[in-house]
Amino acid sequence: MGVPYVPIFGLVGTDLLKRRDDMVIAADPFDSTKKSVVAKALRPDVAIFHAQVADRQGNVSCGYEVEAVMLAEASKHVIVTAERIVDRLTEKESTGAFIPSIHVDSVAHAPFGAHPAGCQGLYGPDKIHMREYVIASRDDAAFAAYLQTHVFGVRDHADYVERFVPLEWKQPAKAMGS
Amino acid sequence: MEAAGEGDGQLMDYNEAELMAILLSREVRDNEISACGALSHIPAAGLLLAKELHARNAELIILNSVFNPFKTSRQFHFLAQRGELGLFFVSGVQIDRHGNYNLHQLGPDIDKPQARFPGGYGGGMIYYCARRTVVFRTEHTRRSLVEKVDYISAAGSSPPDMIRLGNPSKVVTPKANFRFDTDANVLRLDTIHAPWTLDDIKANTGFDVGNGLAVVTPVPTPDELHTLRQVIRRKMIDTGTYAAWAERTLAAA
Repeated sequence: MGVPYVPIFGLVGTDLLKRRDDMVIAADPFDSTKKSVVAKALRPDVAIFHAQVADRQGNVSCGYEVEAVMLAEASKHVIVTAERIVDRLTEKESTGAFIPSIHVDSVAHAPFGAHPAGCQGLYGPDKIHMREYVIASRDDAAFAAYLQTHVFGVRDHADYVERFVPLEWKQPAKAMGS
Repeated sequence: MEAAGEGDGQLMDYNEAELMAILLSREVRDNEISACGALSHIPAAGLLLAKELHARNAELIILNSVFNPFKTSRQFHFLAQRGELGLFFVSGVQIDRHGNYNLHQLGPDIDKPQARFPGGYGGGMIYYCARRTVVFRTEHTRRSLVEKVDYISAAGSSPPDMIRLGNPSKVVTPKANFRFDTDANVLRLDTIHAPWTLDDIKANTGFDVGNGLAVVTPVPTPDELHTLRQVIRRKMIDTGTYAAWAERTLAAA
């Protein structure tokens, strides 16, 4: 990543393309008789995402989430929260969607940090919470109340986990997948 | 759900979903990769039926099911971009005469939508990349089949110098099949499902369907119906592929 743009076959003639200024029609640089869409690359200042495991050097493994690797490669700064922090990722843990520490600014330990969404291989989305979120997002007042309860009114991450992550998820004997 | 033939006094022993699953299955070719998106109960049944009947070596991609080789959407994106999809099944809220479909929003003012739908980027990309796309719609009315869609999510045709790997192939509804004429860039009435007539199609279609000879769609064969209801219903339940829908919709023995 860090490329200037990405070519895409498709989209020409849609209202979606008409309303986006980050996607334009351009000639193929190797064959000017042909055209396709090119999408301007995103260059985020900071990317923040959650991973399954990270180590103290800042190496990160996020299961199959290859999109997270692309995001890290495209962004100027990267902050990662992880279910587990280990001293050093093993060879086995360094396969799949692996992000070398050179891309990563900092990691933070945040068990259940993906809640109410899921963390692949560990736990699924919290469907009851998600339903409440969808209902709250229908109007500004309800959403402000949601934020007050779940974000602004929370002391720290441990407080959030204590109050909002389902109790059964926190009991290691029970399977967390869904 | 309205039973096929209801109101006409003619008793058909299959429902609209079964009919459409069978019609979609006939579009699947052997030795190709065929796919459908999320929330696609009927195409999922159609894909599995085709593989059981006439497309034994077809590769199926049913997103959000066990019939999906991919771990990430990026992998599906690039399979499509490489032109490896032979067939894609997709639905639109509105479909128009020029093969455009709308999965974004309804209303005459594009900035003040009256209703919004999940449509995003994928459909407008895959429409260019899958060799054939079959658009299906479970409602055949003047509000779903229109002269011009309120918002083009995927474009039926494209300028000649644009790289395009594939085109719309057909539109399938509970009443009729349309085929896409790639020379004129319009949908043409292809066949009409019994017991509907050309007058029914005209009355329920928001664009001109012409006065051509009304060919009757071959009705589901006993083999298609039996396999759908026995083998495919069981397979969908056992694999958790729209299991509740299959159990409810595909008639049990």
